[in-house]
Amino acid sequence: MTRQQRTGWLFTAPVLAIITLVFVLPTLMALALSVTDYSVYALADWANLDFIGVGNFTALLSTPLFWRALGNTALFALFGVPMAIGASLAAALLLNDATVRWKPLWRVALFAPYVTSVVATATVWQYLLNTRYGLINYALSLVGVAPVDWLGDPRASIPAILLFVTWKIFGYNMILFTAALSTVPQDLMEAARLDGASRWGRFRHVTLPAIGPTLLLAAIMSVAGFLQLFAEPYVMTQGGPAQSTVTVLYFMFDEGFKWWNLGQASAVALILFVVILALTFIQTRIGRRFEWL
Amino acid sequence: MIQPAFTPDAFSRRAVLAASLALAGSGCVPRADAGAVRLWAMSYEGDYSPMLMPVFTRQTGIDVDVQSLPWTAAHEKLLTAHAGGAMPDVMMLPAGWVGEFAIVGALAPVGDPSLVSGLVPATLDSGRYGGVHYAVPWSVAPQAQFYRRDLLAESGFAKPPADWSGWRDMGRALKRRRPDEWVFLMPLNWWDMLFTLAGQTGAAMLRDNSTRGNFTSPAFAEALGFYKSLYDDKLAPAMLSTELQDPFAAFAQGQFAIYPRSPAMLLDLHRRRAEIGPDRWGVVRMPGPRGPAAASGVSATLAVSSQSRRPQDAWALVRYMTSAPAELHFQRLIGSLPARASAWDDPQMQAPVLQPFRDQLEQPVATPDVVEWERIRIEVQLVAERLVRGQLTMAEAMRTMNLRADAILAKRRQLVSAGRLA
Amino acid sequence: MALTNPRRTLRAILANMLVLVLTAVTLLPLAWMVTVSFMPRGEANSFPPPFLPSRWSWENYHELLVRRFVDGAWFDYRFVPALWNSIGVATIATALGLLLAVPAGYALAKLRFTGRDRVLRFLVISLIVPGQVAMLPLFLMFKELGLVNSYLGVILPSLAGIFAILFVRQAALGIPDEMIDAARLDGASEIRIFRSIALPLLAPIVVTLAVFLFLASWNDFLWPLIILADQHRYTLPVAVAAIGREHAADGELMMAAAVVTTLPVLALFLSLQRYYMSGLLGGSVKG
Repeated sequence: MTRQQRTGWLFTAPVLAIITLVFVLPTLMALALSVTDYSVYALADWANLDFIGVGNFTALLSTPLFWRALGNTALFALFGVPMAIGASLAAALLLNDATVRWKPLWRVALFAPYVTSVVATATVWQYLLNTRYGLINYALSLVGVAPVDWLGDPRASIPAILLFVTWKIFGYNMILFTAALSTVPQDLMEAARLDGASRWGRFRHVTLPAIGPTLLLAAIMSVAGFLQLFAEPYVMTQGGPAQSTVTVLYFMFDEGFKWWNLGQASAVALILFVVILALTFIQTRIGRRFEWL
Repeated sequence: MIQPAFTPDAFSRRAVLAASLALAGSGCVPRADAGAVRLWAMSYEGDYSPMLMPVFTRQTGIDVDVQSLPWTAAHEKLLTAHAGGAMPDVMMLPAGWVGEFAIVGALAPVGDPSLVSGLVPATLDSGRYGGVHYAVPWSVAPQAQFYRRDLLAESGFAKPPADWSGWRDMGRALKRRRPDEWVFLMPLNWWDMLFTLAGQTGAAMLRDNSTRGNFTSPAFAEALGFYKSLYDDKLAPAMLSTELQDPFAAFAQGQFAIYPRSPAMLLDLHRRRAEIGPDRWGVVRMPGPRGPAAASGVSATLAVSSQSRRPQDAWALVRYMTSAPAELHFQRLIGSLPARASAWDDPQMQAPVLQPFRDQLEQPVATPDVVEWERIRIEVQLVAERLVRGQLTMAEAMRTMNLRADAILAKRRQLVSAGRLA
Repeated sequence: MALTNPRRTLRAILANMLVLVLTAVTLLPLAWMVTVSFMPRGEANSFPPPFLPSRWSWENYHELLVRRFVDGAWFDYRFVPALWNSIGVATIATALGLLLAVPAGYALAKLRFTGRDRVLRFLVISLIVPGQVAMLPLFLMFKELGLVNSYLGVILPSLAGIFAILFVRQAALGIPDEMIDAARLDGASEIRIFRSIALPLLAPIVVTLAVFLFLASWNDFLWPLIILADQHRYTLPVAVAAIGREHAADGELMMAAAVVTTLPVLALFLSLQRYYMSGLLGGSVKG
């Protein structure tokens, strides 16, 4: 017993120490920072640091750019999650078709964008989305669509970035979905077919319940992921045009590391955390209602 | 080492302590180029500074490691480096940032008065904060307008008119002749145009001892209104520079006839003379409400970090780079104009293309001397962008500018009223 | 019978065509990245956009990777150091990450010690907190520890791999208790049991985790961007972002930078994709 005790702690203590140092401690410090007015003046002299209670939070509520960042992030999540999961599911259903050959090959090819660096591929897409010389506008021109000012028009910038993000990540959930689809009971499917159930009916009543848990997990992870967009706007638009792609995390980065308003930035980080927590909770509740968990 | 009978809590606390001590020790990895003085500079200054170094190294035996920062990431890189104790020995700072970095204690004061004497009058204040010199003025870069001779001639103009309304009328004439192209190259994320105009109307942009925004004044409204009208008349596109990607090419290809820019343009015009020959462009001062007036610009300074472990070598480098010969060399390389007065007597500075800049130096735009100015300027430009895009009305835009400036200045207001800041 | 059914044949052709088109569209940006990187400077900025270079040229790679001597001074994008930094940082982060997570995951699955369940619960709860919350104070802490602008400062946060621990634990739960108990009866020490019984059984999972960790470290952007001040220390993504800000007009050069940044991990992924895929499925699908 003692030997297991000792080895157990020997094996876990180092990593727990690091987790405490780089994660637990700073998270607690973030709570502390968020109630101070740590700014560039405090960086100069700690005497300029004041306790201001919830001052950062109330100030944020009256900061238009914060609301804009929240709104932009909400738009990213609202359109991005269905778009990305829809693409993943469609690709998975296609790959799941019995007639498709060389499945492993396609799986790997479609997954490839996921393993690449966001910064590098965002750079590539910046050129693909170029108004004059981009391949995407060229492809659109072949079917008679006028050039879209993807990264320059405040109404097109979020769709443009979503296009890139979907391309980048759909392979991940696609793999999870193909695995879940292989667990769909074939006898049940056959019975439904014999009963004359429509294609949609079979999907709704046989396929969906089987992949429900995976779908929920994917949704939870995707929502959290879309709420944490940073590198894409940093590389592709620097938050523009007209601040239409400033996300919460981008706002936090600017407040924190560009202007050194750590108090304000910590408050932003905590609000982001609470939002993610709340959405995860809600999604889990919905999942329970459908008995997917 | 590990006792059999321990409480988990005590053990993990000790482990944390031991781990952090071990980490702190091993964190001090030796620098890659430990023998060199480190210099950070932005953009062209960063790209071309290495060319000044062979002479310096030959004279002093000091190696210099130059790193070039992109303008758009420079502020966060420098401030984060200061906060993290990783500042370079010498850094380039635009005049507007000197106060901010001085106040956070990032800069060593200029010890030798001879470094900050004999300067062009327009640069005198650019390295000073609160009466102390923290940086040595290095170059001046007032804005002037580069124009396409050929395109203007088509519409009967030998050069751009010098007053606002004549300038705009010329724009309209050019637009009528070539409706598919633009006239003025002034992307919505470049602040210099708007602030040139505001400086010309004499708008004081902050009030109450620089603790509040003052963007609803008639003078600022006049400037903002003129700025907006250029976009409303489709003389300038509602575009960002990121979208334009290569502004110089757009100018050379005739998509724009007027390109307001700093003397750095001279470098591009030389490097890319295959794209646009010297007979097809000219340069004159920016127009003013009633003839040439003030124009904004960026004065570059060189400062030594307060964290520098080799202050003597660092100051030697600053002295060399701000000497008249080095500044003249740099002028030939990248077009930037010397801050050292004696350099202006050199025949090299009598070139006709430099005349508009020389004249402009007499009339710089005064900028508020507060650490928050850089941020306010960015916010004001962002609001102006939304105004141009029709998301705000003039009145809303100016009120929003005031609100944003007031929010940014909140801490300063508090410190000033507490008497902790002048 | 299936082969003679015309509807089924049509469906098969259609489905395979669709997969082919989808794959082509997905791989197009990566292929385009490679071809543009070989174009002579300025060629990509023409209309209609060319897909293949008029002549294949190494000049972009040469400019990016080779120091040039111009007018008496050296010019350097410092991209080769960034490549080495990325390789070094990702390798060390992977090695240390495995060293920390594998024993911990095993211990949480197979060793009985006081506080184990509390530790487990703590780890699961921690998963919900996004890492960015810790980022700002972590910078201040690392400043005090002298870790700003150091490789260790980049690596250390990535070692707090809660996912990795839980991933290993999940796999270790599958090790039969009888094997371990038998070894204990034979008097083997716990460390020996871990080394000679658990590790061989966990080997595939360790390879999978190694690929995960390497990719995550290689592609990490926000934290290295914050903590690395010196260009000599930049990792590839940070270097690409910095060069991109100044060289937006040089599309061909940027594509060469993107190729150097993505190709090593793509190659790694392709060579170990079997492990990666099985790990992805084993790690997240119940049952």
